[in-house]
Amino acid sequence: MEFAIISTLNGVTYGLLLFMVSAGLTLIFGMMGVLNFAHASFYMMGAYVAYAVSSVFGFWVGILVAPIVVGLAGMAVERFLLPRVHAHGHAHELLLTFGLALIIEELIKIFFGDFPVNYQMPAELRFSAFEVFGATYPFYRLFIGAVAVVMFAALWVLLTRTRTGIVVRAAERLPAMAEALGHNIPIVFMFVFGTGAALAGLAGAVAGAFYPTNPNMALELGVIVFVVVVVGGLGSLKGSLLASLMIGLFSSFAVGLDWSLANLLGVVGLGDWARSVGGLLTLELSSISATIPFALMLIVLLVRPAGLMGERN
Amino acid sequence: MMTMRNLLLLAVALALLVIVPPFLGLGWQNMLVNVLIASLFALAFNLLIGQAGLLSFGHAAYFGVGAFAALHLMRAIEGGLPFPTPLVPLAGAAAGLLIGLIAGYFATMRSGVYFALVTLAIAELFHSLAPQLEGVFGGESGISSMRMPWNGIVFGSMLEVYYLTLAWVLVCGLALWAYTRTPFGRLTLALRDNEQRVRFLGYSAHTAKVIIFTVSAMLTAVAGSLQAISIETANYSLFASNVSAQVVLQTFVGGSTVFFGPVIGATAFTLFSFLVSDLTRSWVFYQGLIFVLVMLYVPTGIGGVIQHHIHNRRQLDWRNMAGHYVLAFVGALLLTAGVVFLTETVAVLFGEDYAMVRHNAEGGLPPFELFGASWNPTGLLTWLLPIVLLIGGGALLIRARRRISTIWDRKGPSNATATEPLLAGGAK
Repeated sequence: MEFAIISTLNGVTYGLLLFMVSAGLTLIFGMMGVLNFAHASFYMMGAYVAYAVSSVFGFWVGILVAPIVVGLAGMAVERFLLPRVHAHGHAHELLLTFGLALIIEELIKIFFGDFPVNYQMPAELRFSAFEVFGATYPFYRLFIGAVAVVMFAALWVLLTRTRTGIVVRAAERLPAMAEALGHNIPIVFMFVFGTGAALAGLAGAVAGAFYPTNPNMALELGVIVFVVVVVGGLGSLKGSLLASLMIGLFSSFAVGLDWSLANLLGVVGLGDWARSVGGLLTLELSSISATIPFALMLIVLLVRPAGLMGERN
Repeated sequence: MMTMRNLLLLAVALALLVIVPPFLGLGWQNMLVNVLIASLFALAFNLLIGQAGLLSFGHAAYFGVGAFAALHLMRAIEGGLPFPTPLVPLAGAAAGLLIGLIAGYFATMRSGVYFALVTLAIAELFHSLAPQLEGVFGGESGISSMRMPWNGIVFGSMLEVYYLTLAWVLVCGLALWAYTRTPFGRLTLALRDNEQRVRFLGYSAHTAKVIIFTVSAMLTAVAGSLQAISIETANYSLFASNVSAQVVLQTFVGGSTVFFGPVIGATAFTLFSFLVSDLTRSWVFYQGLIFVLVMLYVPTGIGGVIQHHIHNRRQLDWRNMAGHYVLAFVGALLLTAGVVFLTETVAVLFGEDYAMVRHNAEGGLPPFELFGASWNPTGLLTWLLPIVLLIGGGALLIRARRRISTIWDRKGPSNATATEPLLAGGAK
């Protein structure tokens, strides 16, 4: 019971963090068809900018400045770099962002070193929210979740209840038509890209203070974020929320479970045979928790490439 | 076209590859082996992206599979299996064929970005599962073996390994080149250009793609097993995403539209990392920068630019252009110097060693050593020099580039639709 509650809480907060990063990625893909390999790098950039700023001006300024800086960087990428390769197709756009991800990672290594930096949450947030089964639960995890929830609400209101949202959704559906109606579509694209990057930057700034901030964080999160957007459906915001929570819960539960295929086969009386075969069949769930998301992503891609909530197949 | 002159060029290159290595040091021989392996890897990878238009982000999977298969066979030979050591890559080829067939069957069900994601997921599956599987992949430490002698050849020296690698790479490279000349090779190009039409003509696009994918995976696995033979060990890091990334970088910088383009990229990157990686820790940064610049300004890669110039060599006014090319080259050199100076300065100033020096100097900014000279971090010259280099080089390059493209435009209407001339110098 204790394991279940703690894991659920951790899983939900981690899932919400995943959502903060994947929201921008899925939004950008839905609108421009660009799979941004550098998106997780924006997340890492957010953490490092927040670290650099907060060491001088304090934590809250860092959290405020990071999304702005990262958002501007995202806008610059969309404005100056992507159009140059657009004529050569989506593959070249993908390759360009892939190169950018490499450059950002190496720049961070040059400036901050190839090791974790000491980016910490401020003392006023370092307290326990409540006690469960004698263990204290850090408030900061709830803070990460709350930031994500507020962000999702704001994004949802913006997209569905405002005039800007209508234009953005129109630009996503039929860019040529929206442009013919007099809307400045390139500007809309630029701001969507910037907003997506800023959200990833905010996620990095908030999460970097809790999880380790190191030059590998983009690579580690990046692949998981791809899993999230694919499983949720590329371009679907609701889908990626659902998938984020699923993956978050799964990864927090899986580390504590020792189920294996052999146990499963034991139910039908094949347990001993499975154990004698070994290999894949006796791997415990906890040791392959890193594998399952990719298997899931593969299955989704092959069976239903539109994902859980995507519309286009 | 395989003209007489091309044949002669090929023969000279071959002769050099055979004759020169015995006179080189061990480090260089080792480097050449790496160049050959990287070249084969890139050629096999380019069969997918360059010819069939399928962008794979997980070719590390097949490279790794080939390496592990070869090592298992080498261990069996150690245990007494009478199998000739020079044929060990056959095991890699077989494994690559099998895995490539399975992976390719599923991956090619999707196209475009989704294809890239499927290949990425497959490679990540291998990468995350391999450390857990003791039997096949040797857990986290991996497996290793020894090259066993065969027919009096002991495979003890790097030179013997080099000739073995050379033979395999040549055979596979020529096979790939011959493949492009077959009707199926033409079909591969057609799949890239207009898949719907291929289907309309009555071909099964999926079957064709599976075959192409399998061939690519098989030859990638041969490259992997050659590496296994050369370094006699492998672990799960072979499946890591940076292995897949390297081949993407090399192929596109070299030029994916030209058959030998990937070889240029693989050779350049391997050679540079051999020469430069001891001097700087920012090598991967330069790689990324070169790649992005190539993507932005020279989408056909170095090979594409060279081919473009060779095709148009008769129509061009070389006498007028030579000067501008020299100017462009000088501009590119200055620009490169500026970027390298700035990067290395920043790397030193933000590095750990300098942090120690600063600590000892109690917060001051003592001068630092770079390129054999001493620089003052707050000095005007330290920052003025790279800025002058960058601005001067940039201005020269832009100017020369403009002149060159006017000359290209004047060349005549015969090639008016050809892609605009781009400078190889801009790649740096």
